[in-house]
Formats: sequence, C-alpha cells, structure tokens
Amino acid sequence: MKITGKCWVAPGYVMAYDIIVQRFWTSPIDPKENARWVMAGVSEEFNCENGFAGRGYSFIVAGHNFAGGGKSIEHVITGLMGAGIKAVFADSFARLQFRNAINYGLPFVTCKGMVNGCQTGDLLEWDTETGVIQNLTNGRSFQSVPIAPFVIEIAQEGGLVNFIKKRIAEGGIHELR
Amino acid sequence: MPGMTITEKIIARNSGRTRVVPGELVWANIHTVMTMDYLGAQTFAKLHELGVREVFDRRRVICVSDHLVPPPNEKFATMLNEWRRIVREHHIEHFYDLGNQGIAHQIMVEKGHVLPGTISIGTDSHANTYGAVGALGNAVGVTDAAVAMATGKCWLRVPESVKFVVRGEWHPYVMAKDLSLHVMGMMHWNGHLIYKAIEYTGEAISKLGMAGRMTLCNMTVDLGAKNGIIAPDAVTRRYLRGRTDAEYAALQSDPDAEYEQVYEIDLGRVGPTVARPHRLDDVVPVEEVEGTPFNKAFVGTCTNGRVEDLEIMARILRGKRIHPDVNMLVVPASQAVYLEAMKKGYLATLVEAGAAIDTPSCAACAGIHTGVAGDGDVILSAGNRNMQGRMGSKKAEIYLTSPAVVAASVLFGKITDPRKL
Repeated sequence: MKITGKCWVAPGYVMAYDIIVQRFWTSPIDPKENARWVMAGVSEEFNCENGFAGRGYSFIVAGHNFAGGGKSIEHVITGLMGAGIKAVFADSFARLQFRNAINYGLPFVTCKGMVNGCQTGDLLEWDTETGVIQNLTNGRSFQSVPIAPFVIEIAQEGGLVNFIKKRIAEGGIHELR
Repeated sequence: MPGMTITEKIIARNSGRTRVVPGELVWANIHTVMTMDYLGAQTFAKLHELGVREVFDRRRVICVSDHLVPPPNEKFATMLNEWRRIVREHHIEHFYDLGNQGIAHQIMVEKGHVLPGTISIGTDSHANTYGAVGALGNAVGVTDAAVAMATGKCWLRVPESVKFVVRGEWHPYVMAKDLSLHVMGMMHWNGHLIYKAIEYTGEAISKLGMAGRMTLCNMTVDLGAKNGIIAPDAVTRRYLRGRTDAEYAALQSDPDAEYEQVYEIDLGRVGPTVARPHRLDDVVPVEEVEGTPFNKAFVGTCTNGRVEDLEIMARILRGKRIHPDVNMLVVPASQAVYLEAMKKGYLATLVEAGAAIDTPSCAACAGIHTGVAGDGDVILSAGNRNMQGRMGSKKAEIYLTSPAVVAASVLFGKITDPRKL
C-alpha cells in the first residue's frame, strides 16, 4: 500500500510532554478530543485549538528520541492519530510511546536522516511494504526499517485492545508466547 | 552459542523459552502489575473495554495512591473518590491508600511485590526501579497494563544489554545519585541507551545498599533504557527477608553473555554531581556550580526519598540551621520510610534545622502536587527530572543533585560541596 501526504518536520527534540501538555494528561482517551490541542507545547503556532490538527499533515518527520521525556500517557498517540497523522518517521523513538504507538496501530517508522532531507510541507509517499519513502517535492528517497509482522498484525486488528479481545473470545490467551 | 544476560534470562524464563535474542518480540508472564491514582481509573476503564470485569489475580494487581494524595483541590479529590470506588469494585488485595501510602515504586519494592527473576510492570515511568532486586521492571501505558491485568501477560521486545562495571570506594558524601548523574553525563539523556537493558555490576555495586540500588535503577528510564538491573546477591536476600515468603530464582548473567557495550567506571573519578537546568545530561562536578544561589530545596521522590537519604541529610544538618532565604521541603517515599526516619530521629533533626516535612507522595516532582515551582524559583532538588516546567512554572530553574549536596547547600543558600564541610 502507498500512502501520500504532507509532512511536518520537527525542528528539534519533540517531547511527549509537549505533544500533550499537562492540563490534558487526565483527559479521556478520545482521538478527536485529544487532537484539538495536540502539539500545543511544541511550538507557539500550534498552541491554539486545532493549531496542529487543522494543518492537514499526514506525516511527522523527526530526529532522535521522538516523544521522549518519559511520559506514558496514550493521549500522545491518539492525539496524533486524531489529527490525521498516518505515520511518524524518526531516527529513533522513546520506548514508552513506541509501545503505545504499536498498541494503537500508528506506525512509528525508524528511518535515519530524514530530517535533513525534508522540509515542512513537502509531499511524501510511503510504500508500507518496501519501507521506501519518496519525497515527491524534492525527489529524494529514504529506506526505512521494515515493520515487524507482529506490529502489522496488531494494526490490522485495530489495535491491541481488539487483538486481545479476539483472543479472549477464542480462549487463546494461554497460546500467546 | 553464547551465554545470556540476566535480562535475557528473565524474559526467556517468563515466556516459556530456553533462550531469547535481542530484537525478538515475545509475550511474557507478568508477576505483578502496578497502577496508581493518576492513571488507575483509565487503566481499569481499558480493562472493561477488553470485556473483562475481573483481574487475572487480585493479589498481583497492586494499587497505590501517590500522585494525588492528600488531594490539594476538588478535581483531585473527585478523581481519588472514583479511583477508590473502582479499586474496591475489583477486590484488589493490595491497595495502598492514604494512611498506608507511599510512592508506588517504593511500595512495590518495600512490600515485596517484586521478586528476582520475574517481570513487573507499572503505569509510571520509574518502574525501572524494580531492577534493584534483580527483577525486570518496566513502565507501560494504560493499555499494556490493562492487558496484563486481564491476562497476566505483556508483549516485550528483548533489549540489547549494556554493562557498567563500577569499581572503587564510595566516599561518605558520594551517593548512587551522583553515579546516576555521572552516567547521564557520559551517555546523555535519552541518548545511546534508548531501549537497552542496563546492567550495573562490579565491586562498588556489591557494596551498595538497596536504597542506592533503587536510585541507580530508577534513573535508567531517563537514560532512555528499557530497564536497569542489578543481579541479586547477599544484600538482596537480606533485604527481601521478612518482605516476602515467595521462592525466587536469583538469576545471574552468564560469564560469556553478549553485551552491546561494556563501560568501566572508577568511583575515584565520581564526586558529588549536579545536572543544571533544563537538561538532565547537562551534568557537571559540584565544583563547577559551587556558590550558585537558590531559594527552594526539595528531597523526596522515588529516586531519593528513602531512609538512607534522610539519614545522610540528618548527619549533615544536625545541630545546624538552614539558611533563612531557603525553603526546604522533605517528603519521605512511604509511610514505612516516614515512620523509620521518625523513630531514628532523622525527621526531628531535619525539622529542628528548619526543613518542612510533608506526608509521603510524589509531591512536587511532576509539578502537580505539594510544593510546586513558581516564576523565578531556583530549586535544588534530589528528584529525577529538571526539564523546563517539570515542577510547575516554566520560569523556574531546577538543579538536580544528591541529598548530601542538598543538605550541605541549604546551610548556605548556595550550592556547596558536602566534602568541604
């Protein structure tokens, strides 16, 4: 499958704390609701209602340790998904949010050096099978680390909750190993 | 075939395998799942979303009130009421609420809910602390916790291991916190150690008590690591005696285990250490920031709120007065720590010196409870994070250091090297 869309390129460290700012840490998990103020702490231009969600980005391109800082809140992922983000490409990801992303079915794709080859607003095309990302605006191309089958399986079943629900219903929990 | 590290052995043992290799994804059996007041209601809501009303084992889901107690406002009071209702509804056997409370990670270790050779997870980032007793401790989000509460299982990626061999003698005023910050300076905040298992070993670690081991493992999460671990030894066995009757496997790394990197640290080169605002890895020896004035001091948290931390402060502050320009807040990590420090006279010494003591909780560490930072505050803290806004105002500055440096510094209102007292 190929997914095409506009990207936002992170200027530096993007912390989970800034993707969802403190006053929303205890909000209910709801992609639409969480998207309204997602990225509010990342830059002043996003610090208003739908400041990020209203810009029509499909991808985020980031450097090292995307969504770091040690917050486990899942609003970070649901907020980005609610804002229309289809994948995040980064040099590396923070562990907690890497897990949350897999559990919600938002691909966190490891791809080195993309921040230097993309600018905010560039049009990208991501081939989910080969892992190749084309920058259609400047013609550059990047090879990402392929996604593990387990991650695709969870995503296809609509996230970890559905994945587990199905196995509980089928009595297959003890087979998970 | 090469040997395995302790982390690999724990994952293999708890996922029905004879061996695992880094990068592998496995479903592992979970010994205990911890959730707390701040995210607990969300965790139970997720459990219900799975169509499950009963937890997999009422003795192995541990619930703690730590972020919100005692409630400073109506919002938190209402959240706590909902939290208590939901915990009771699930007949959770181990519920540590106000009166019996403590910071969740302290409770998990102190009450024997984590065991060597097993895996415990929690919905708070500093669950890495559990590695102090040779367990694999991991922080997860509410979905992972709910899945484990329903099934007793969690998926894990087997991490590459990195070993730190620590040699030399501990100077009386050099603490595990200084070593943690030293490693932070070497490896960087969320730097090269992202997703790695960090193993601390060597003669200096053998000599370290459980409090220091908890500090070391606790801060591995801020290095970006998956877990931090210290193999169980005589110190571990002594600590666990009286805390658990359960049998456990004192797993150790094989001599021929494979490490991605091995680093050697000589304690002779580690003195009192300070992380400057606003980055954990902006780390300098105390000498470089000596004389820096501050107006607030804070010691507590899952990093440095234990009896040994209070003891060293009492030793430094006995018979002395804190500088009048400094407000000092001390928060023991649990009721048990509070009581022991009270009986040993440490709290009396601190109060006589002019410190304020608050009831065990996470307090101001995450900027949501007692003692938050306001505009213009300069805080000398023995907590674990100093990002801008971490303790409240974005216009505050946080210097992170050890309880010994805090105690020496509050006497003068300026950052002070405790070795020079």
